[in-house]
Amino acid sequence: MTMSRLVFDAAAAMAILFAALMVVHPHPVKSVLAVVVSFFGLAVCYVMLSAPFIAAIQVIVYAGAILVLFLFVLMLLNVGQEAPERDPRPIQRWLSAAALVVFAALLLALLRAHGGSAPAALDPVSADVAPLARLLFSRYLLPFEALSILLLAALVGAFVLAQREKSS
Amino acid sequence: MIGSIPLGDVLLASGALFTIGLAGALLRRSAISIFLSIEVMMNAANLALIGYGAALGTREGQIIVFFIIAIAAAEASVGLAIFVALFRHKETIDVNKINLLKW
Repeated sequence: MTMSRLVFDAAAAMAILFAALMVVHPHPVKSVLAVVVSFFGLAVCYVMLSAPFIAAIQVIVYAGAILVLFLFVLMLLNVGQEAPERDPRPIQRWLSAAALVVFAALLLALLRAHGGSAPAALDPVSADVAPLARLLFSRYLLPFEALSILLLAALVGAFVLAQREKSS
Repeated sequence: MIGSIPLGDVLLASGALFTIGLAGALLRRSAISIFLSIEVMMNAANLALIGYGAALGTREGQIIVFFIIAIAAAEASVGLAIFVALFRHKETIDVNKINLLKW
């Protein structure tokens, strides 16, 4: 058990734990806050997998912008606690049980196939951000620019959708 | 070199997060909570991509995750705008009470 594996496992366990807390907690604001903590744990995982730039993006964009947007919408709509379950909805229960079974099967297949062999190294050379930027602005320049148009379209779309309708 | 992380650990964490997100999307009834569960599933996929990228010694995984995060931002803004518009019409975002497309 190396040091980096220990840190990764602890951060991953934190992410999983708080994601589970999000699912079981009936209050939506606390759900969002649990996901914020979970995403911080994921950012630590990304650092351990020598992707510090993605970790920074995760904290700034995901935890800092997207989830704060969620909180703002919750505040605007004033959504309270989910009412306790009245209809049993057995289909969803069965489907999530089936998801757990599929996960267990995947886990078994994984343990048989890998046996914990393939190493993901954490070293300062591969964690360097400059080659990533070079790749992003040369080979992936076209998708990068297309992304700016997508973000503009999302901005306009969100504005139009959330706009108050004119009473005509 | 500080040490190495086995790919199995990464995939295990990713699979667990994805399963939790899937269960949340199926079990919750508030539309925003379902959306949040979908974000968790997307992050599980991101974790697997970063893990494979690190294990194979390539940066393409990080590039893909960068694009996914940007697209997730766009998707979240539009999705939440839809919820605001929906709440204005129906006064609720409980998915059991929203049945416009159901016959």
